[in-house]
Amino acid sequence: MDYFFDKPIANFATRRVEAEEKVTGKGKYSAEYDFPNLVHGVFVGSTIPSGKIVSLDLEEAKSIPGVIDIITHQNRPEVPGLKGDDAKFMFKLFHTDNIFFDDQPIALVLAETLEDATYAATFVKAEYSESNFNTNFHKTKDSQEPEDIMAEKGSLESWEKAEFIVDQEFKIAMEVHNPMEPHATIANWKDDELTLYDKSQNVYGVQSQVAKIFNIDPDKIRVISEFVGGGFGSGLLVWPNTIAAAMASKHLNRPVKIVLTRPQMFTNVGYRPESWQRFKIGADENGKFLGAFHQAKHATSSHTGHTDNITGLTRKHYSFPNIKTEQAQIQLNISKPTWMRGPGDASGAFAIESAVDELSEKLNMDPVDLRLKNLSKTDMYGKPWSTNYLNECLQIGAERINWKQNRKSIPGEIKEGNWNIGYGMAVGFWNAGRKDSDAAIEMKPDGSIVVRSAMTDIGTGTGTAMQNMAHTFLGLPKEKISIELGNSDLPYAPTQGGSWGLSSLSGGVAAACKSLKTKLADYAYGSKFIKGQGNLKLLKLDAKGIRMEDDSLEPVSYESIFSQNNIQVINIEESSSPGKEAEEYGFCSSAAHYVKVKVNQLTGDIKVLEMVSVADGGKIINNKAAANQIIGAAIGGIGMALMEEQKFDNNHGRLIGNDLAGYHFPCNADAPMIDVSFIDKPDYNRNPAGAKGLGEVGIIGCAAAITNAIYNATGKRMRDLPVTPDKILMA
Amino acid sequence: MKINHSYSRRFFIKSSSAFAALAFIPLTVRSFFNEVKEKYFVKKQKIPLSVSINKKEYQLEVDTRTTLLDLLRENIGLTGTKKGCDHGQCGACTVHIDGDRNLSCLTLAVMLPGREITTIEGLADGDKLHPMQEAFIENDGFQCGYCTPGQIMSAVACVKEGHTGSVEEIKEYMSGNLCRCAAYNGITKSIQQIAT
Amino acid sequence: MKPFEYHKPQNKKNAIELAGKTTMYISGGTNLVDLMKKHIHEPDKLVDLTEAISSEITVEKNGARIGAMLSNTALAENENIKTDYPLLSKAILKGASPQIRNMASTGGNLLQRTRCPYFYDTTMPCNKRNPGSGCSAIKGFSRMSAVIGYSNHCVAVHPSDMCVALVALDAKVEILNTTGETEIIDFINFHRLPGDTPQKDNNLPEGAIITAIEIPRNSFNSNFEYLKIRDRESYAFALISVAAALVLSGNTIKDARLASGGVAHKPWRWSKAESFLKNKEATEENFRQAAEIAVADITPLKDNKFKAPMLTGAIQQALLNCLSNN
Repeated sequence: MDYFFDKPIANFATRRVEAEEKVTGKGKYSAEYDFPNLVHGVFVGSTIPSGKIVSLDLEEAKSIPGVIDIITHQNRPEVPGLKGDDAKFMFKLFHTDNIFFDDQPIALVLAETLEDATYAATFVKAEYSESNFNTNFHKTKDSQEPEDIMAEKGSLESWEKAEFIVDQEFKIAMEVHNPMEPHATIANWKDDELTLYDKSQNVYGVQSQVAKIFNIDPDKIRVISEFVGGGFGSGLLVWPNTIAAAMASKHLNRPVKIVLTRPQMFTNVGYRPESWQRFKIGADENGKFLGAFHQAKHATSSHTGHTDNITGLTRKHYSFPNIKTEQAQIQLNISKPTWMRGPGDASGAFAIESAVDELSEKLNMDPVDLRLKNLSKTDMYGKPWSTNYLNECLQIGAERINWKQNRKSIPGEIKEGNWNIGYGMAVGFWNAGRKDSDAAIEMKPDGSIVVRSAMTDIGTGTGTAMQNMAHTFLGLPKEKISIELGNSDLPYAPTQGGSWGLSSLSGGVAAACKSLKTKLADYAYGSKFIKGQGNLKLLKLDAKGIRMEDDSLEPVSYESIFSQNNIQVINIEESSSPGKEAEEYGFCSSAAHYVKVKVNQLTGDIKVLEMVSVADGGKIINNKAAANQIIGAAIGGIGMALMEEQKFDNNHGRLIGNDLAGYHFPCNADAPMIDVSFIDKPDYNRNPAGAKGLGEVGIIGCAAAITNAIYNATGKRMRDLPVTPDKILMA
Repeated sequence: MKINHSYSRRFFIKSSSAFAALAFIPLTVRSFFNEVKEKYFVKKQKIPLSVSINKKEYQLEVDTRTTLLDLLRENIGLTGTKKGCDHGQCGACTVHIDGDRNLSCLTLAVMLPGREITTIEGLADGDKLHPMQEAFIENDGFQCGYCTPGQIMSAVACVKEGHTGSVEEIKEYMSGNLCRCAAYNGITKSIQQIAT
Repeated sequence: MKPFEYHKPQNKKNAIELAGKTTMYISGGTNLVDLMKKHIHEPDKLVDLTEAISSEITVEKNGARIGAMLSNTALAENENIKTDYPLLSKAILKGASPQIRNMASTGGNLLQRTRCPYFYDTTMPCNKRNPGSGCSAIKGFSRMSAVIGYSNHCVAVHPSDMCVALVALDAKVEILNTTGETEIIDFINFHRLPGDTPQKDNNLPEGAIITAIEIPRNSFNSNFEYLKIRDRESYAFALISVAAALVLSGNTIKDARLASGGVAHKPWRWSKAESFLKNKEATEENFRQAAEIAVADITPLKDNKFKAPMLTGAIQQALLNCLSNN
């Protein structure tokens, strides 16, 4: 690892680089690019969950004025990656008469206006032969035994008869990402080049996937996702709207826009699958954990697989001498699930952290102390943590909510009228990953630079972090640093997900900054610098030119560097990769969540009164944006705990109430002002910025913290999410 | 689950159409129906509309079906107003009509003659941002930015209405604007800052 | 949406002249535009009432008169309403969102249709939307459905909060029918039970227009509560709501009103419980008994058994809040 840039990143509470575009409405999200001649496409979805299309009647739909064409499996232009046995997409969109899930797109109505297309879509008539179907996870889950997902550590038998055991089952409802921006694509196929304005968390991923499906050179595809209205995982994969828009644009030789309706957002772009867990934990009389047995099953689609690693967390943050983890995926006639914020671990943490709370009660120990006693010293492969400050998160959080004074160990002790008050806590944990990432810098004679990366910004503040990093690495004032991102013409970046975005990107930005400095030193000082008089660490970029911090060399202005060397522009592009550090260390982010709730004993009403989250995300690059992430994740946790649930009508195999009136996620009034703090200590083993990811860890454990608080308030153990008021009353 | 193939497959017809009944009507009847439809069904109607948007007068021809939201986004290129649900369930499309906050997705454009509409694009005074826009930047009252125009339009109205007496009151009166990133701390703080 | 003609009559008379089988009236549009987008309503003629109907409000000695075009916000925020009929204000402000309340009219609020999810999904059977097709909720997802007054044709509930307060306050609905006559309908008889014609939500004659709401003077402005239990703190429909109001003399209940939303096809009055409370002391025990009297009449469905304890609790809590909240 290159420690060249090991000086701390300044913790900027800074304006976001794109702030003005966002508050004025000028920023363009994917559906908002203007094209003359634009065609509006609207999907028609199947009304059965399983079977075959027998016939389609498009006559009436085509007679609606404004309709240009309707694409179906009967008339579609052939796309190589969607036919045959080795189809390169999740299902053979418009290349099959098979129906795999309800609301599967069976036709794309193309019309001159959105009104025409939407109206005409209601006239597309399909006849189906319907197969027997099953969408009922809980009725089906027992039909399949879970299997080892990793090799067993130690043995289950060795602790099964431990003195202190908790063995419980947990359920979590299907949750849907529902970013505020509906997924949308404008495809413009001109000659042999395709431009996609696509809502995505991964422009290079879209480029390569679409290239594979259409069997064309990736270089012929440009993907632009400059403003992305949230993702939470829904933008990690390529979905039918992207493929269909490209198909239609090629077919009509016109730009085509498809914007999913909100109900389509529940069936076309993934969701967190419904799950069941059994978690068994044992401890000795001192509270030392002896073993964990974690089983999980979750729903998935029958036409294409998906695994949420729900049991993975069991091997991470606590030290268990014996671990057995088993999983099963239950195939149903439903649309494809995908990763959603804190995938796997957010679900797993609900079971683990609830069970640990229950165990602490059996042991008559404070749940914070019990956790502190059992934190793992190494990762699951026995490597020491590079940095792991979960213990500090736990301690700071306890102080901020005044845990020792406020929380009563006996449930239901604090009352205000018919309201019971309770405190609860839990922890979150996530692998701190890093991936390959490139970055480019262009410098002009006035000393201004543009830093470029293809990485998207789904709201995390990627661009602002890039600016902060470049500013710290170079010294250059921030107003001289502009940012370009979210475009496949720009240097390679991995998908923005898994909390590795910033960690990966910092490598690329650091490498490019170093390279720029080297080049400037070379131009300004030539051999003097190279012969050792210069130390790159001391080289600083000011507004007007470069200088050495120890004044060992004369300052040189940008103007003279550019004119002396007869150049108009300096272009740098560098790559970065994680090094061998992962062979030596384990890397993690972590968080502790503390919650105060009140529960009305008469009505079942639940209100979160306080929420404290303390997170270790390594060095914090932008305090405001990082805190905002944790706030958002904590409130996502409130949603998971108390309201988020997508229901099926199993009689029809169809989602019910799949819109934002039927599917509740928290509104402003559901959340207290969230109290966030950070450990803010760098981990330079991970990357040059010392930052670890924060996107996931904020939500992991939140649901359990809330249900533990509900227990503390009411004496009721709620193991079935979401905990709506009716469940409190019926418990 | 596995689909039980031994189970004799039910064969029945379902229609994807909202006009399901049509599928069952014999062809002859249907052609008669089509003739009747030609005669009696209302055809797409475009009617003239003069409306003031961000203090600019527009003379337009609109489809009677066009909502204010689609008029803004699809017809006159003002894409700052966002479509989050199109059914009055999220607040992303909030604009001011005669100074009051309204949902543009549930407002038919044809009903607007003589009304003053202000969208996020009309909030700033030239290059000078509205204080609420500045407050949102300063308090980081957003992440992805998609609900932000609606939040800001709603926030400006919330202050004007005087519903800023406490954090709880602000939160209640801002609950018609969902934010999935949940930047609710910053949104609430922005309003507190402007209200005091 | 299906194409339609747009008309904007300048007065009531011209409005009713436009009435017809395929005509619909629009005011705030907060529910109708939604329903038109979903092709649940497909008028050929849309008649905009915003100029034709009064939005005037007068609060006098005998009571309040509210022009049907008055917005929900203007009604809830009206100083006289806040003083004299605060239960109505409170109920309105528990509904929808500020934006929707700004748009929605008083008359339109009465006419909003159920939020039963099956009614909104045109691919599924629903007797209210498509008479004779069946009720999907009875055997399907019935968590949000009715617990009283339903039939085997329909278990939908009326979604309004405002109407729960209006039924509690003995309001009256003034309408103009297509022959140009003004009629007065008692609020409690305005909405109807589904029976075997669930497609009809209310007793408004075909083509008629709501012109005003009247509320007789009462003394329920000191001890009142509108309590709404829902899955989200705000911007969500009720699982259960309770409008409660008491007239107290010392600690003796002289008059009581109790009504609920989220329980039936119409805003529901708990008359037996009201009678029980009269001349009783305002005690927790009497509140509990009143709640039990109300709940004794309900018959929950498969998924909404919770509504029994929730209603019991909500009525008690609402009555308790009448003593302390205001």
